[in-house]
Amino acid sequence: MAISTHESVGVGRPGGTPPPGAAVRRRSAWLGQHMGTAALAAVIGYTIGHYVGNSFANGYENVAASGQNDVSNVLALTLAVVGWLLGSGALNYPIAKLVGREPAPETEETGVGRFFRYSLDHKVVAMQYVIAVLLFLFTGGLLAMAVRTELLSPTTHYFGPGTYIALVSEHGTMMMMMATSVITGPIAGWLLPLMIGSRRMAFPRVEAFSLWTFIAGYMVILTALPYGGFPTGWTGYAPLQTQASGGMDSYLVGFIVVGSGMIAAGFNIAVTIINYRAPGMTWSRLPIFVWSLLAVASLLALATPTLATGCLFGILDRTAQTAFFVDEHGGSSFLWENLFWFFGHPEVYIMALPGFGIVGEILPVFTRKPLFGYRVGAAGMLGVALLSFFVWQHHLFQSGINPDMRPLFMLTTELISIPTGFIYLTAMGTLWKSKIRFEVPMLFALALYFNFLLGGISGVYLSDVPVNVTVHGSFFVMAHFHYTIMGGLIFAFFGGLYFWLPKMTGKVMNKKLSLIHFWMMFIFFNATFFPLFIVGLLGQPRRVFEYAQRLQGLNDFSTISAYLLASSFIVFTINFAWSIFIDPKPAPANPWDSLGLEWQVPTPVPYNNFDRIPLILADPYHYGEPVHTPVADLGVPAVALAGAGGGGGGPSGGLGAGAPAVDGEGGASDV
Amino acid sequence: MSDTSASAPRLLDRAEEAAYELRAQEGSIWTGSRLLIGIVAFVFASLAFAYFYLRSSNNSGLWRPHGVTAPTMIGAPIFAIVVASALLNLYGTLRMRKGLSVDWEVSGWTAVGGLLLATGLQIWELTRLPFFPGSSGYSSTFIGWAALNSALLLTSAYWLETLLARAIRMRKAVAEDGGPARSTAPPARLFRASLEGCSQYVLFAAVINLLFWVLFYVVV
Repeated sequence: MAISTHESVGVGRPGGTPPPGAAVRRRSAWLGQHMGTAALAAVIGYTIGHYVGNSFANGYENVAASGQNDVSNVLALTLAVVGWLLGSGALNYPIAKLVGREPAPETEETGVGRFFRYSLDHKVVAMQYVIAVLLFLFTGGLLAMAVRTELLSPTTHYFGPGTYIALVSEHGTMMMMMATSVITGPIAGWLLPLMIGSRRMAFPRVEAFSLWTFIAGYMVILTALPYGGFPTGWTGYAPLQTQASGGMDSYLVGFIVVGSGMIAAGFNIAVTIINYRAPGMTWSRLPIFVWSLLAVASLLALATPTLATGCLFGILDRTAQTAFFVDEHGGSSFLWENLFWFFGHPEVYIMALPGFGIVGEILPVFTRKPLFGYRVGAAGMLGVALLSFFVWQHHLFQSGINPDMRPLFMLTTELISIPTGFIYLTAMGTLWKSKIRFEVPMLFALALYFNFLLGGISGVYLSDVPVNVTVHGSFFVMAHFHYTIMGGLIFAFFGGLYFWLPKMTGKVMNKKLSLIHFWMMFIFFNATFFPLFIVGLLGQPRRVFEYAQRLQGLNDFSTISAYLLASSFIVFTINFAWSIFIDPKPAPANPWDSLGLEWQVPTPVPYNNFDRIPLILADPYHYGEPVHTPVADLGVPAVALAGAGGGGGGPSGGLGAGAPAVDGEGGASDV
Repeated sequence: MSDTSASAPRLLDRAEEAAYELRAQEGSIWTGSRLLIGIVAFVFASLAFAYFYLRSSNNSGLWRPHGVTAPTMIGAPIFAIVVASALLNLYGTLRMRKGLSVDWEVSGWTAVGGLLLATGLQIWELTRLPFFPGSSGYSSTFIGWAALNSALLLTSAYWLETLLARAIRMRKAVAEDGGPARSTAPPARLFRASLEGCSQYVLFAAVINLLFWVLFYVVV
């Protein structure tokens, strides 16, 4: 795998683009390769794979006996992904490199068409990610509705048990795949260079690759349903994995594809943060969101290869007839469990940490106070990331771990609550005695802390072996991780969207609809999942479509709440479509009076982000100080200068708070 | 690495900006190549974990029945060729540092040939195995090793080949500036940064081959 280099012209810009101010050649986005050609090539690849697989593997004894040709499935899915990447243009440069070609100069594209093409502009890629992530989220959400519908009654069934577990598995896998990238793709992809004063991501092609593999992974995992689904849940446990029908191939290939994108994203984020910080952006001035991304990037890059390797072993078991996970032939089903959870537990923090990073950015803005305990918060994030590599065996307390090892992993798991407490401390210290502006992003941030508290505390209980033994495999566990992942990450994602959409799109979301969305989501999220703690404690097992009659009331309450929770997303979708596309209203340049560097550039953000590389002069949390150091010298008139005074306070060297400037009218060179 | 130690903070002028971004790109290649090695290390660590886990579990007494071993007559040449290719490329890189780019080109093309040959042998070995893939824990992990090692060797060969091809293309452009080995032009500097990273990666591949050669062929 080669590290890409660029030609001298426009060094430092995606694909070697011309320097700022130079004439930019524009071309139609519909010429050449785009999503349509990618889809066509994927279909062709899929067909070829199936044909070839059937040609040489149909005669295999195991294929003839079972009527299930996993070789054909895996080849078809793999070639479909290769076709998708070829058709999109993702492989053009890697192929051209074989003959020593330099990358073609990137041309700035305009119009809607650029969002359907392989783009090297991190802002375009991030917007593509937004749509892809929402697609993932809503598809997984629909599957959740099917699951909850089945649970309306313990005796009347809409689906058979096989279909039910296939729906549960598909829902869980899709949501987990989505959750790994929900912030690192759209929000981090858009903001990271702007926050550190860079004109680009370190490797724009790697970033684009992560997006296109993410979309390919979505399609691959969707194919599991026509293949008959898979019965393992998102954890893919062996030996069920080895025995499952063709849908399991989609799971294994899908996780390798999405995992490749995750590794690429983590790799790119880490390299960008280390190398592309603007002059003056010292480690102690790094925004807390960037610290969270650095922690997450290390997890993405180092934990995900284990999952991908485990999936490869699974594929070999199903196609080449190896026996990695087959106990009777010298393998071990516990091997999968270990490999999976060595990735799977860091995965939890891959999902949690960027959420904490986002709310860490939101809190100071809406409390008009500096972030309390900045260094403690950053240390907490790195501590969580490090410790997350040493806790995976707590998932095996009940399934074969040496009992003598249980106390060790109980201890490491409980230890992780300490750095998590650091992160909470920064939030509570920032909120202490502050005058909070209850804007929509702030409401989502506060909701995260409420939800994650319940999820986190129930997690501490679950890490204790006696409790774990009691509630393992029940809805209690299910409620716990929904409180951490949906209650934490997804609330943070929406908080971040509402906070940064005015910068990303230049348009403002309808506030009334946004508030309706928030309150519906917050109330019905808790109404859906809190009862599941209770039914779990009362003994309802996960992944089983029948349950005790006495639990029907709570289940029905949860299901109806889930429908209302889903309708909150419809409100969001209507709001998004209305505010961004149908009746757009221009957003003020800095609607929240943030000191963040990303808010100091014009909207829409120029192709190269900054005309001059900014000189960073201070961290972006000097709120509430009557006189403060400007955050950066941008070398051009600033678009707005956020007031740092408490409660929307006074001027700070330029435009005062509460007086958002029109683009380009700031007048101050220091921001 | 970012330059964050300016004693008198001021905005960079345009020329300094270009130099600054070039340094950032060089740094990215340096960091990226090391991180890539870390990522691949975790892939092979997973394989090593599988090896030791299944070996210590010895389920059904089928870790390695009757001491079966993959064909040493194929495995040993693969290992030897990979190590030789890595050392040859390292030697070429050291010569490149002294300004002798032709030496590197010769050693580089030879190393690419060696890596491709090793990949071919690794795949061919799969057709000459004295055991069925699922007959034991050893056989399963060996198949996993063959698949992963083929990918490792192919990516090494790909990276090296792209650098060699680029060196040929840029030869004329930077001829008056000292050639790819000495030129201060940005493409040459980025090329050299990538070459350093590539050499580390190929060496890493050789180390991995050494470790797993011991595990699969030497340790009984």
